[in-house]
Amino acid sequence: MPKSQYVDPGKVFQPGYIDFDSIPLCRYDKTIDEEKQIYSKADFLRIYHDMRTIREFETMLNEIKVKSEYNGVKYNNPGPAHLSIGQEASAVGQAYCMDINDFQFGSHRSHGEILAKGLSSINKLDDAELYDIMKEFLDGAILKVVEGRQANPGDVKDLAKDFLLYGALAEIFARTTGFNKGLGGSMHAFFIPFGIFPNNAIVGGAAPIALGAALYKRANHKKGIVVANSGDGALGRGPVLESLNFASMDQITKLWGMGGKYSDEGMPILFNVFNNFYGMGGQTMGETMGFTSPARLAAGFTPSEMHAEKVNGYNPLAVIDATKRKKELLLNGQGPAFLEVATYRVSGHSPSDSSTYRTPEEIEAWKAADPIPAYRDRMIAGGVATAEEFAAIDEEIVNRTVKIIKLAIDDEISPRMDLSKQPDMISSIMYSNNHVKSMDETREPEVLLPKEEDPRVKQIAGKARYAFDDKGEMIPKMKLYNIRDGLFEAIIDKFYEDPTTIAYGEDNRDWGGAFAVYRGLTEALPYHRFFNAPISESAIVGSAVGYAVAGGRAIVELMYADFIGCAGDEIFNQLSKWQAMSAGILKMPVVLRVSVGSKYGAQHSQDWTALCSHIPGLKVCFPATPYDAKGLMNQALNGTDPVVFFESQRIYDKGEEFHKEGVPEGYYEVNIGEPDVKREGRDVTILSIGAVLYRALDAAKKLEADYGISAEVIDARSLVPFDYTKVIESVKKTGKIVIVGDAVDRCSVMRDMASNIAEMAFDYLDAPPAVFGSRNWITPAFELEKYYFPQPTGIIDVIHEKLMPIPGYVPTYNETELEHLDRAKKGV
Amino acid sequence: MANVVIMPRQGQSVESCIITTWQKKKGDRVETGDILFSYETDKSAFDEPAQVSGTVLEVLAAEGDVIPCLDPVCIIGEPGEDISALLPKKDADDAAPAEEAKEEKPAAAEAEATVSESDGERVFISPRARHLALDAGADLTKVTPTGPHGRIIERDVNKALDAGFTAATEAVEAFLAGKPMAAEEPAKAEEIPAPAKAAEAAPSAEDLRAYVEEPMSNIRKVIAKSMHASLSEMAQLTLNSSFDATNLMAFRAKLKEAGEALGLGKITVNDMVLFAVSRILPSYPEINANLIDNTFRKYKHANVGMAVDTDRGLLVPVLFGAEKMTLASLAAETKTLAAKARDGKLTPDEMSGGSFTVSNLGSMGVESFTPVINPPQTAILGVCCTVNRVKADGTVYPAMGLSLTFDHRAVDGAPAAKFLKELCTALEHFDLLLAK
Repeated sequence: MPKSQYVDPGKVFQPGYIDFDSIPLCRYDKTIDEEKQIYSKADFLRIYHDMRTIREFETMLNEIKVKSEYNGVKYNNPGPAHLSIGQEASAVGQAYCMDINDFQFGSHRSHGEILAKGLSSINKLDDAELYDIMKEFLDGAILKVVEGRQANPGDVKDLAKDFLLYGALAEIFARTTGFNKGLGGSMHAFFIPFGIFPNNAIVGGAAPIALGAALYKRANHKKGIVVANSGDGALGRGPVLESLNFASMDQITKLWGMGGKYSDEGMPILFNVFNNFYGMGGQTMGETMGFTSPARLAAGFTPSEMHAEKVNGYNPLAVIDATKRKKELLLNGQGPAFLEVATYRVSGHSPSDSSTYRTPEEIEAWKAADPIPAYRDRMIAGGVATAEEFAAIDEEIVNRTVKIIKLAIDDEISPRMDLSKQPDMISSIMYSNNHVKSMDETREPEVLLPKEEDPRVKQIAGKARYAFDDKGEMIPKMKLYNIRDGLFEAIIDKFYEDPTTIAYGEDNRDWGGAFAVYRGLTEALPYHRFFNAPISESAIVGSAVGYAVAGGRAIVELMYADFIGCAGDEIFNQLSKWQAMSAGILKMPVVLRVSVGSKYGAQHSQDWTALCSHIPGLKVCFPATPYDAKGLMNQALNGTDPVVFFESQRIYDKGEEFHKEGVPEGYYEVNIGEPDVKREGRDVTILSIGAVLYRALDAAKKLEADYGISAEVIDARSLVPFDYTKVIESVKKTGKIVIVGDAVDRCSVMRDMASNIAEMAFDYLDAPPAVFGSRNWITPAFELEKYYFPQPTGIIDVIHEKLMPIPGYVPTYNETELEHLDRAKKGV
Repeated sequence: MANVVIMPRQGQSVESCIITTWQKKKGDRVETGDILFSYETDKSAFDEPAQVSGTVLEVLAAEGDVIPCLDPVCIIGEPGEDISALLPKKDADDAAPAEEAKEEKPAAAEAEATVSESDGERVFISPRARHLALDAGADLTKVTPTGPHGRIIERDVNKALDAGFTAATEAVEAFLAGKPMAAEEPAKAEEIPAPAKAAEAAPSAEDLRAYVEEPMSNIRKVIAKSMHASLSEMAQLTLNSSFDATNLMAFRAKLKEAGEALGLGKITVNDMVLFAVSRILPSYPEINANLIDNTFRKYKHANVGMAVDTDRGLLVPVLFGAEKMTLASLAAETKTLAAKARDGKLTPDEMSGGSFTVSNLGSMGVESFTPVINPPQTAILGVCCTVNRVKADGTVYPAMGLSLTFDHRAVDGAPAAKFLKELCTALEHFDLLLAK
């Protein structure tokens, strides 16, 4: 909402038309003679070689799946194999145009794409670079297998082809010598040194990630483009449409330049749709969609119509022609672009596909048009090479493929992870646990003014960093350094330390974030580091994943925790999983800020810590004091793991009530996973999660004053990881614990903690750990919240009913076991 | 040459398929492309066309059979061909499972029941309280549970410990295991220095004030608590009466003299009183009762408690179903219970569930007293000594005193008096009572 852009009622209602330019469809018509001007014989043959290599590789996989045998080699592969036989020309044509620093993100059906990009990279890298890459990757583990076994000793490119095919196949067969030690598998094989980024088992899952990688290039002035591959079926997915829109945002070309100060180029991303007409079995054109051609869809996103075009994907030279033109547009700052590559998969979606959705005639017709023999025949007819030369290529490829599969299925050469001997192998890669101040120490961060001159920094300088004055009186809120300030300080410090750090989300710039944490950042940071995202939660989180995978550090915000659902796949499958699925090769320095609302009813007040804590691979924090907020944010921002950072709108303005020396102005960290005793006590422990800390403390005060019961209050601060040591120590002392939080009781982190504490401290418990969360209802209106969220009185009620009946105490709420039994029975 | 047709593999997760229909049968002629059979995976249905022409020489699977992928299902060739080499050999496969089964046996034989049944009632106690009780040796019989579900929690054990209720660890363990908790040995009183002999110097002033401080024993505390509660919570009053014990004494003398031979020599006066009580009680349901929270627990049987003085203090074992016992069997039972009481071997079960109590101070020469009711019973009978009284006609007779304390909340004076009167009458005619 920049003020420079005026929404003029006089113009808004002006009559007129929106005009669309025609979208070119399969306009490639070069003759072989014209092509000979462009390509050398080696180029022509290489294109054939690459297509043929992919075909043989997938034929081999198919034979293994269907017959458990390929050219006399027997093997059984229980894993998936989503093949793309028929689509080789599309993949090779695209990869032909890509350089090493062009990133490719694969579709759901991407063996062909990764092999094509790999072969293209092998061709483009010089031998020394190529050999270094192979030598350094996983300490040479893959190179060791293939080196010394190549058909042409001394030929590094020949060796590299073995390396590529073997690394991919070992990955598909879940061997430790695979590109990702077998943890990615068929649908997630990739190899970053060749510019091959993760493809995705989630249809369309790679689109926002690719967007994020393009954002990384755009915001950090990196060379190259990003290609986001997807199938036509993926166009039905929201994250893909969100990404198309996000990449097309006006601000990138209209605002990010800031009057010539910075680049005003468009997003360097090519959305490339391999249109094979079926999303598994659903026919996109004619059945499940209405666009008649994916290219039409793109035309709606920008006045440039995203330079949309449809090209014949059965002709590799047509694909090269189109891709090259799109790449030029992107390099000229005219991105984003969109290319529909029409192709066909003659193989089934998977070997279990009985093709109930298409006729044998249709398959036969496409087999007849098979791009590989068609290309070969055209080359022979055009005098480029002889049939014998092509046959020699075929033979070389079959020999290579046989050699590679023999190596990949040899349990000695290509072992699987031995989790009985090394049970922590997967545990050790779930998090990277690094401390990295700056993701790029070679550059100075781009800022608009010195940090000390930032208006927010100046404002905070005048605030009290401890909540009470000398007489113990609470300092007025306006003069108090609060949780917002703690978060802001950690974040602005990182912006001035790490040039790759960016932050975006809805209403971040100008507004300063819906809850004013970012107030003061607009003045300090250029647009490309700090901007407003469209209301596209999938694209926001997914792009942060891509930004991090590409090498940057991102802070993204979802405003309300309730919107986690809108970014479900991106948080639960992408953000959380890629570090481990890459066997620790990728890092994920992303902080996802989500705010738990109050007073805003059922869809704006939910504490969804349980959802995030349930998913392996995420770290989850929920601070409740300025000291903890700053310290945890510092550690989250200094790390390389994805952290879902919960904040609470109830307490943004809380001052620091615990650290008497005040919140430090300098850098310090609070360890994610370490709970903190906020009040010491003897008789009962209250473990609080998030903002309920202050209600827990009120309950503790009342217990002490009215009943002589001394309660210890522990603030969890983080949920994943979580060190139970302090909690167990406390329980050993008190024998009783109630865990409180604002999340609904059922399946909450509180329940998980209660179960863990019961197991770890059973012999010390005087009563089973009690849990007091919110009711299993919708959140009612503010006026009724006391019946829903835990209150101090309710906390005492639970202690009375479940831990230690307090003589003479009359409970306010019904927290008896009988009532709970009944609630459970009713599902409330 | 004949060809084996195998079950195709249709997908990574498919291990076997079911044959739904055979389109061809043994002996049929097939051409390439003819559908041989239809089959299904869990996901889809397929038709399998013949890859070669020929005659179906053998069908190896029936409709409805589940066939592992890549296993043979039929053989196509030319009539008369020898296909024996192509037929599957099954023997080798069958041997394997038998061996596996064999291996399992020893493991099963090793398993032995290790869980022993506990006779006693389950004690509900938190793990923390349990540890504390074991560590500090708390007498759990003295603990009043205040936790949820009547669970003993830490503070309850602490309260008992603060009050000095301790027990040996073994006793606590036994109690937790549901066994009766052996009462604590009475604390051995420190020897009070013997009074100085006359020859020695006169005791000093300090010596004259010497004492030994000794904590109340646990059993003493229980008695104290129970007796105090009894007096503070009930409306007790005592009726005193006496009866002519001539007949009773004569009967007792006869038992002593002649009963030896019959094994009846050990029957005491107290046994006879208990016997009489057991015969009268069933007619007085309010007296043969407990009163708990405004509810009468009226007993079906006369479960008569007998107060036994022991080194540890007063214990009251119960003669369950005394009304059915013969005098001899009742006497034998009282001997057993008294011995157990003195040896500290009574179980909690043997000391609870009484409907009435008889306390005898007669042997100590007590002429009349006010027995205190054993809660939650509603009455108690005190048996006093005999005194000689003179009848109006001048004859002297032994009068044995009876003191009945009853809870006026449960029983009114008239029925209580009637009970006492009936008891006196029965005892006066004890020989006749035996006939009852």
